[in-house]
Amino acid sequence: MIKQFLRCVIVVATLVSASSQSMAAGMLRYATIGEPPSLDVQMSTATIVATIGQHMFETLYAFDSKYVPQPLLVTGEKVEDGGKKLVLTLRQDVKFHNGQAMTADDVVASLKRWGEFGARGSLLMKNATSVTASGKNEVTIVLSEPNGAWKNLLAYPEGGPAIYPAAIVSAAGNKPLEPKDYIGTGPFKFGEWRPNRYVELTKFDGYVPLKTAGDGYAGARTASFDTIRFVPVPDVGTRVSGVQAGDYEYAEFISGDLYDSLKSNAAINVHRNGAPLFGLFFMNSQSGILKDNFALRRAISAALKEEQALSVSFGPKALWEADGAIYPKGNPWHTQDGVKNYNVGDAAKAKQMAKDAGYTGQPIRLLVSTNYQAHFDQATVFTKQLADAGINVQMMVVDWATLLKLRGQGDQWDIFVTHHGFVPDPLLLTFMNDSYAGWWKTPEKAKLMAAFTGTADPEARIKIWAELQALVYEQVPAIKVGNAYSYDIAAKKLKGMGESTVLWPHFWNANY
Amino acid sequence: MGSYALHRTGAAIATLAAASVIIFFFIHLIPGDPIHVLLGDTATPDQVDALRAKLGLDQPIILQYFRWLANVARGDFGTSIFFQMPVLKVIGDGAETSILLATITMIWITIIGVPVGVIAAMRHGSWLDQGLSGVAMLFASIPTFWVGLYLILIFAAWLGWLPSSGYPSIFEQGGLANLRYLLLPSLALAAPNAALILRLTRASMLDVAREDYIRTARAKGIRPMRVILRHILRNALLAVVSAFGFTFAALISEAVVTETVFALPGIGQLVVQSILRRDYPVIQGIILVTVVLYLAVNLLVDLSYRLLDPRVELQ
Repeated sequence: MIKQFLRCVIVVATLVSASSQSMAAGMLRYATIGEPPSLDVQMSTATIVATIGQHMFETLYAFDSKYVPQPLLVTGEKVEDGGKKLVLTLRQDVKFHNGQAMTADDVVASLKRWGEFGARGSLLMKNATSVTASGKNEVTIVLSEPNGAWKNLLAYPEGGPAIYPAAIVSAAGNKPLEPKDYIGTGPFKFGEWRPNRYVELTKFDGYVPLKTAGDGYAGARTASFDTIRFVPVPDVGTRVSGVQAGDYEYAEFISGDLYDSLKSNAAINVHRNGAPLFGLFFMNSQSGILKDNFALRRAISAALKEEQALSVSFGPKALWEADGAIYPKGNPWHTQDGVKNYNVGDAAKAKQMAKDAGYTGQPIRLLVSTNYQAHFDQATVFTKQLADAGINVQMMVVDWATLLKLRGQGDQWDIFVTHHGFVPDPLLLTFMNDSYAGWWKTPEKAKLMAAFTGTADPEARIKIWAELQALVYEQVPAIKVGNAYSYDIAAKKLKGMGESTVLWPHFWNANY
Repeated sequence: MGSYALHRTGAAIATLAAASVIIFFFIHLIPGDPIHVLLGDTATPDQVDALRAKLGLDQPIILQYFRWLANVARGDFGTSIFFQMPVLKVIGDGAETSILLATITMIWITIIGVPVGVIAAMRHGSWLDQGLSGVAMLFASIPTFWVGLYLILIFAAWLGWLPSSGYPSIFEQGGLANLRYLLLPSLALAAPNAALILRLTRASMLDVAREDYIRTARAKGIRPMRVILRHILRNALLAVVSAFGFTFAALISEAVVTETVFALPGIGQLVVQSILRRDYPVIQGIILVTVVLYLAVNLLVDLSYRLLDPRVELQ
């Protein structure tokens, strides 16, 4: 009797399992850590928005695997008037998901909205005196001053200038697009968004890929999957079990303690992110004890042993490196110029430096959120290290939404903790932005920034960036914790993902 | 009975009105706002102010409350700031998962907790009773997430019999077969609750068994099984039914951990995520619906006392 019952259970379970597998044919299921706030990539800098959105929305340029911007929706450009006039020639074979052909009017409307309301639009467009359709397939941007980062800014999709149809983008204004308006030019189009269940994209049959081979985000994009489902699976253990059980083909942000065992698992591929994240402890340059007191900031920096915080928060050595340079080794922007006081952890020296800076034990308020475990771990380690150096740090632990609100109020904190994703141009770094919380704005910075944005010569820009990095270590607007490489896992059958991701995983040119 | 029901319903409506004030104002007292969550890390103060005005969050709080109340009275719970969808649609989506999960869990609890509790009481003091009580204590003590993760590991990752996580609606492709997604989470959720119901059933049975009328029934020569089922169990169930009411309501609103572990799109997870995102209309909607649910379940439990025990007078 019991044997018969068990036999029945096995047969039913096998059938159920088989039907689940067949349903997934042609479908890629991606277990995400959470849900996107919207999929309007122009308006949000959330990683998950870019990860999903890049499949639907495209920018005029796209980064190749070496982080060099290559034409995507344009065929090329002319740079005139010493870099102040950019004439972009658009491709003529690009269609939106609603069937309309992409025209210069769409590009102009999208760039204007991005410039006015987009998360990163002002970096380029604040100096734009005009953006016009100078032909059916030609757009001209005129700047009051040259901007050496213009192509990188047009290529970076996170909070970047995605191209939408003019009618949609003009109607949306400063409000994030609604799902019905998710019309782009990418190889996948919007399917359905079921709150808490999934965001579904489907293959766009009208997509015309470039003739050049796919390289990073650049070149030909070919969709093999009929459907991609991004499923929120908040628990990391469930994401891992889900891939092992065949319920998902891809899962992101796996915890460091599982790295070694998953790396040796024959049924799973591990994809380490090619571009590191890095924690940042921002100093308050607007008010409070750290305002203008660069010497005290350097004392704080000298007290920290960053590798301890990295080890606690990320685990295996393969997933982090204690490097004070803002850009990782191998990247064209990498330089060790000016890096000092990094990973020193000298309490006695820091104590003396703090005393010399006039510090007498006043409390320093450190604002940190519990939503990101790494932030909290790093803040805890640093608070202990600073206490050893006689620096009195008081942690203010709040949730992320509260932190975002409080950090806008300069009188509420002295240091706040966040992290930064890899950005392909230093201009995109948050601490380079005068109005970003922390409000680092000094004459020395302004002078170097003017020189940095004023030239398009790559070598000159790299040289000026080295000086800017040295200034970061001199004035300490923020302390970099170190490079952290997140990693994802994929089912063995998923091909075409490469060794590591460029910025975020993408599933055009991938297949089973 | 009719006037009692009317009286209880009136009291429920008053409770609801008081709850609506507390819900609205307490939620808006939490620091942080949805605009920052929506616009992300790099939003400028101008962008934040513009969107806040567009969503009406710059209006005085009293005005926002009465506007919300007037809309709710018309059945309009507003639009989710995060999902840009009607709140009732967002809640409805989660409610399907939560109600089905709670129902299946209640079935497990009933078919495991009550009969095993009766058996333990019948064999009071024996090794079987002690063994069953021990196992119940064990399951009541083990955290749900731990049971859940091991169920996933064994039945999904190793054996591949059941899905590891998620839940596609029964109204989607797969139909009722999609209920298999709820088997493991309902078992995880049932484990501690069934253990508690088991212990409660056992204790109530033992209490009732000591009553004089049970001794009388036995003295009259009524068959032992009839005494147990007809006289002891029926009277013992009064306390158990009360617990059922609370358990069902709690399963809908408090299954957060299980929903997180099994990535279920239920109400518990929705409310936690909505609080983190400061999605006020969704939080207000869920809490209001939950209050209504609690009031309704308790009302039903109160009314069911009369059916179980005619001596109970409803006033």
